[in-house]
Formats: sequence, structure tokens, C-alpha cells
Amino acid sequence: MTTKRIAGLLLAISVIASCSKSVDPRAENFARLPDWRGVWIEERGFDVGISGIPDFFGKTRPFLDPEGPWNDAGRERLASLLTNFGARKAQGWGYPMMMLSPAPLQFLVTPDETLIVNIYQEVRHIYTDGRGHPSEQDRWATTWGDSIGHWEGDTLVIDTLSVREPSKFFQAGPPFSEQARYSERLRLTAPGRIEGQITVEDPQTLTKSWTYETAYLRTPNIDRLVQDTFDNDRSEVENGAFIIAPAKP
Amino acid sequence: MSRLSIPTLDTAPEASNPTLGAVRLLPPLRSTLVCLVLLSAVSSAYAHHSPAMFDMSQRVPLKGTVREFQWTNPHSYIQLLVRDDAGNETEWNLEMGAPNYLYNNGWRPGTLKNGDNVVVTIAPLKSGADGGLVMEVTLADGRKLGNAGK
Repeated sequence: MTTKRIAGLLLAISVIASCSKSVDPRAENFARLPDWRGVWIEERGFDVGISGIPDFFGKTRPFLDPEGPWNDAGRERLASLLTNFGARKAQGWGYPMMMLSPAPLQFLVTPDETLIVNIYQEVRHIYTDGRGHPSEQDRWATTWGDSIGHWEGDTLVIDTLSVREPSKFFQAGPPFSEQARYSERLRLTAPGRIEGQITVEDPQTLTKSWTYETAYLRTPNIDRLVQDTFDNDRSEVENGAFIIAPAKP
Repeated sequence: MSRLSIPTLDTAPEASNPTLGAVRLLPPLRSTLVCLVLLSAVSSAYAHHSPAMFDMSQRVPLKGTVREFQWTNPHSYIQLLVRDDAGNETEWNLEMGAPNYLYNNGWRPGTLKNGDNVVVTIAPLKSGADGGLVMEVTLADGRKLGNAGK
């Protein structure tokens, strides 16, 4: 075999090899996304102890501040919520409370969709593939709403509609209406820290938009989300107050 | 201290009155609504249910024997057998946070075993029933199982 032929063969092999190395565009898209792996807890609830009750007594809860921009209907809803608060139990957190709670979260970031999952099996689907919300006649209010998003650099921008009144699922959730629109921004600002912002517009209950700043810290203490059902609910109401029911035999 | 290990605290957490201690003064015109918010909702929002059933201003140590440790949602529980001065034994229902809060503080399902002799510090039920909210557990060897990092 002549030198020319050997060189030609090597060139052909090189071309074939370089073709086989072409990168799948989806892999490239994945590689551009930020690394939000791990288990995260909202900053103010990060140090909740074994009692399950945090040390933030006296601080105003997000979106429950009576000095917030409530309109008359909003104030009425807030008053009603408080009247019925004491003997109600949470069914979970729902949205937006799952983003403002001490319940651990996981962010699963893919090019087409980001999933936000909490330890109580609550899941938000944030579609980032360019689709819009379903038309008004094709969507209905749910506890977590309908979310779409897009990336502005390394910031995930989320738009959420059709959220059922949050206080129906979680007794201390804000009494926003199903017409509320939630705009959210999430960004990794430091290793182990995602900062977020939730802005609510709700002409039914608010006079103007209301923004709450938050942050999530990666916890080194939880290496996986272990989810379970509420199969031992011993919180019962007796004469308008909670009691601890006896242990089941 | 690694928060993955069972935390050992050198000193017991200070007894406090978290419900009333930090409430700020507010304009009188809004006092009714605001007080309701601050005292009822705000101070207890992070829970499966309101903790108004517990006297959070009190800390009561209970010495007893673990009959059962329930690692369950929505709350964990310690069933504690407590003997009084007359020798009568009663079972106390002691509520804790959900397992994920315990896990994040270094607890595991096997942290307490049936028959363990412990001292449990509780915020007692206001009703006077034999129960309360667990704030800290001290094992027979003196190790305190409380809240990691605190």
C-alpha cells in the first residue's frame, strides 16, 4: 500500500470518527442549564427543629400580612380565613406555600421542563419548551396551577395561572383568588443558594402587585426525598380544639 | 458538628415564650385583625395544624420508658410510659414534627427503641391531658437529642 493510499485511509477514518462524535443538541441544551441538584429548604424554615415548629414567632408570614395591599374583598377573605383557622388541618402545602415552607424540595431541571417536587409528593410542572398556557376554556384551577417558564440566562422565569385559593389546601395559605397570576424568578446566586422572587397580581383581592423575596438552601442532611402517606393522622378536633388521639393498637 | 449524626447538645434550649415574646406593636385601628394574624396564624403557620393546643411558654420534663416510637406522617409520636410518685403508670401521647424535620436534625427511625429510658422535655397540652409537643429528648446516658445546629 502506497503512502498516499494510507494517508487517504487515515483521512477517511478521521472524517467518520469526527462525524460519530457530533453532539446531540439535547445534550448541549442540558449542558447549558444550571446545576440545581440536591435537596433544598426554604431559608426561614431551614432550622426547624424536632417539634416541627420554627423559631420565627412574631414575624409576619408571607402573603398574610394584614398591612399588605389587600382590597376590601381581600381583607374580608383574610378575616374569614383567620376565623376558621384554628380547627383546620393542612392537606399539604400547595402553591405558593410549597415554595415558602420548610418542606424539603428538589428541582429537576431539563431543557423541556423543570419539575419542582416536595417531600409531600407535590409536583409542579414548569414547561420550558415554548408552549403557552392552555386557553382559558381548556384549563381549570388546581392546587398547584398551570405553569410555563423560560430561561433568561441562568434565571428561570415562571408564570403560573389557575391556582385554587391557596388557603383551601393549607389552612394558613393566602386567600388569593383563582384569578391570581404568579410571576416567579429563581436563580442560583451562590453554591448551595437559590434566590427566588414571587410576585402576585390578583385583581380580586389585591389593589396592586405583591412581591415576596425568598431563598432556598441546599441541605447536607437529606440525601434523598423519602415520601410517605399520611397514614397516622392523630390530630382530631374535639370541642373546637385539637387533641392528640390515642395511639392505634 | 455534622448534622448527619445524632446531635448532642451541651445545654438544654432555653425555655422561652415564643408566642408572645416577639410580637411587635401595631396601630390600634388594626389591632383585632392583626392580633389574630400574629397570635394565631403567623405563629403557627408552619404546621399540619395549629399548635395552639400546646402551651408553648412551658417546658415540662417527663421521665419515662418508650413504649413506641412512631416515625409517621403527618407527625411522629413518642408513646411514653410515665410512673408517678404513687407508682401508677400512665401512657403519654407526645407529638413531634413530621419525619422529614426529624431526619434533617439527625434523627432516624431507630433513634429511639422500645424500652429506652428517656427524659422528654415537652410543651404540655393546654387541656391538661397526658400529652404534649416534644422539644428535646435526653437519653439515659445523658446525651440530648434535640435540634441539630442549635
